[in-house]
Amino acid sequence: MRKNLFLVLALVFVITFSGAVMAQEDITLTVAGGAVGQEKELTIKAAEMYMERNPNVTVEVLETPDLANDRLGLYLQFLEAESPEVDVYQIDVIWPGDLAEHFIDFYDYGAEEVVDDHFQAIVENNTTTDGRLVAMPWFTDAGLLYYRTDLLEKYDREVPETWDELEETARYIMEEERAAGNEDFYGYVWQGDAYEGLTCDALEWVYSNGGGQIVNKDQEITINNDKAIEIIDQAAGWVGDISPTGVTGMGEEDARSMWEAGNALFMRNWPYAYALGNQEGKPTAGNFDVSPLPAGDSGKSAATLGGWNLGVSKYSEYPEEAAELAMFLAGEEVQKLRAVEGSFNPTIKSLYEDEDVLEAVPFFGSLYDVFTNAVARPSTATAPQYNQVSELFFQAVHSVLTGESDAQAAVEYLELDLMDTTGFETGEPVQP
Amino acid sequence: MAISSSSNLANEEQKLALKLLLPAFLILIIIALYPLGQVFYTSFTDKEFASGSETNFVGLDNYQALLSVSIKELEPVIDDETGEQAIDEASGERVYQSPIRVLPRDPHLYRPSFEFSFFGNRYVVGARTPDFIRSVWNTLLFTFFSVFFETLLGLIVALVVNSEFKGRGGMRAVMLVPWAVITVVSAKMWEWMFEPTRAGLFNMLGDRFGLIDGSFAFLSNTSLQMPAIIAVDVWKTTPFMALLILAGLQMVPAELYEAAEVDGASKLRQFFSITLPLLKPSLAVALIFRTLDALRVFDVFQVMLSQKRYSMASFNYFQLISARQMGMASAIGVIIFIIIFAFAILYMKSLGVDTE
Repeated sequence: MRKNLFLVLALVFVITFSGAVMAQEDITLTVAGGAVGQEKELTIKAAEMYMERNPNVTVEVLETPDLANDRLGLYLQFLEAESPEVDVYQIDVIWPGDLAEHFIDFYDYGAEEVVDDHFQAIVENNTTTDGRLVAMPWFTDAGLLYYRTDLLEKYDREVPETWDELEETARYIMEEERAAGNEDFYGYVWQGDAYEGLTCDALEWVYSNGGGQIVNKDQEITINNDKAIEIIDQAAGWVGDISPTGVTGMGEEDARSMWEAGNALFMRNWPYAYALGNQEGKPTAGNFDVSPLPAGDSGKSAATLGGWNLGVSKYSEYPEEAAELAMFLAGEEVQKLRAVEGSFNPTIKSLYEDEDVLEAVPFFGSLYDVFTNAVARPSTATAPQYNQVSELFFQAVHSVLTGESDAQAAVEYLELDLMDTTGFETGEPVQP
Repeated sequence: MAISSSSNLANEEQKLALKLLLPAFLILIIIALYPLGQVFYTSFTDKEFASGSETNFVGLDNYQALLSVSIKELEPVIDDETGEQAIDEASGERVYQSPIRVLPRDPHLYRPSFEFSFFGNRYVVGARTPDFIRSVWNTLLFTFFSVFFETLLGLIVALVVNSEFKGRGGMRAVMLVPWAVITVVSAKMWEWMFEPTRAGLFNMLGDRFGLIDGSFAFLSNTSLQMPAIIAVDVWKTTPFMALLILAGLQMVPAELYEAAEVDGASKLRQFFSITLPLLKPSLAVALIFRTLDALRVFDVFQVMLSQKRYSMASFNYFQLISARQMGMASAIGVIIFIIIFAFAILYMKSLGVDTE
């Protein structure tokens, strides 16, 4: 009896003791990341690489909503509650300004050594006015025109260089393809739902047409001009013509699924769709390529700057380990893996000369200029009200696309709304 | 002597009752009154969500911004050639001047909310936050139609499964399936069925039967958004309605029908003279439940329409999350609370629900 008691006590002691040891050493870090396309898979893969090298760290990946707005909503709830539940956040290129106060400064954790390897523009974007680096660049994005090489060849057409050419080619091939039996075939798919994605698409139309970038760097509202109205009007004409009526409800993934089913000639999307479209068994595999988006009256093409960064929460229980993890994920090895397997654009300059990367994604070399010259959304000029500005813009454009209002009236109101929201004056649009 | 002791006993009992109620009150204060008071308080400030910026007391500003409306007459546009009012060639409608010219801009900008005609004149209703006014209207429309159809269909379903037939138990279980599906899941499911290409069920069916051309955008077309979303809610909540009504039906004593049968009353007469009056209390409860529930609808709107069209609750969500205006969002919360409260009182009074 006594012996038994002793055994039990010993067991209890061992369990308690080992528990204490585990509590000291083993930590769990949570990364809140996207799940668009292959994003989640690749984040988990990178997390496993990290765990192999740091056996005391368990990395969990928290899947977050696809739409950027919804994702921001989730993050804000964590941040308002000062929750330590998430350590590393994947944040949009337009958020560092707004969310800066919740994130640690990477310079305190040795980011100085690596920061020069990254694109200068993105590092600047992620640096606050008082010089804190609140997010590590993870991947960059720019809008691209995807086109079906097989169909252009079949109908002997060139890759369009202006919006008018795109419209013309799309209409011609769409009619031919439909006559040939594919009734579900459309000319052009893009992101027309009322959300941040439409802001990106519409900014590309307007900027390439010489209509400026909504609000310029001097905090002047420039959207109310003939060039902007003209191109928004033209885009509204695509709905129900070369684009399905339902394009006004489409996000990135909706456009991609239609394109990958072989039902569209052109698509506007981010680079992530490249690797996915080439997966075996899909009708698009090997039958498409990418080019810069068409130009408008300005004669130049425009691509909206996108991309995501990694920030470490100030409320994390292990900020040092979390910062280390974030820098590993944003480091060369992981960025290369993501570039090769998922066609995510690296933010590290040297990777654009890496043979493996260029072999997997040839356009990274040929479209390097598109990525370095991408046009930024006016998130810095309008911070901390960018979200409201963007919403006013995409709601106005969406109402034109659905035919609720005409471009002239919508843009006039947009200008007044923007003045009311930001308190800025009006000005002349900047030309590309 | 006897009287006083019994009143003593009653006093004792009352004291005991108060003591026993105390924990419940405490919990109520912590989980209901405190947060509600917090929302009330925040609604008078300009607090920003998840931000360290300073919060100021702004009085009724948030309420003014939400509720201010301005009605202005629109002048007809005169055609220079004919000297009469111009008519739009495409739509054939009379042309009036743009609301942008008449609505006040200083000190606050009024945006057009909707237009209406009255005695041959055209008016525009401008609001400082037209999206909110529209969201209230959307919610009322949604509530009225969804509750109406749910009650009607629920009653029919309940009457059917209340009658004797083979497999009634199974039928009752199957009937509840839509109600058991999580709203976000079912909304997503319906979203796929509403898909604007022939990948969507409705477009595929419509196309097959030659009704539509297969690219109907149910969720982007402004005139189809409300019917689509009401249909989803009716599909989902009819079973719940049926369940509540069924419970009421089972309380109606069978003798009454037997007596009516003996007296030679028709089935229809039985329904209107026995079933419906005796069903009234259960119907009232079911209606209150559903109306109050429908007024705070969020999930279907958020999933299916997102920022294309708001309900009161989803507008509230976007004010908080996207615009990060917590003060404004709290004011919206308070207004929603008041509207729902008003409906609850209206129901209790008009349906004569026993409050004792």
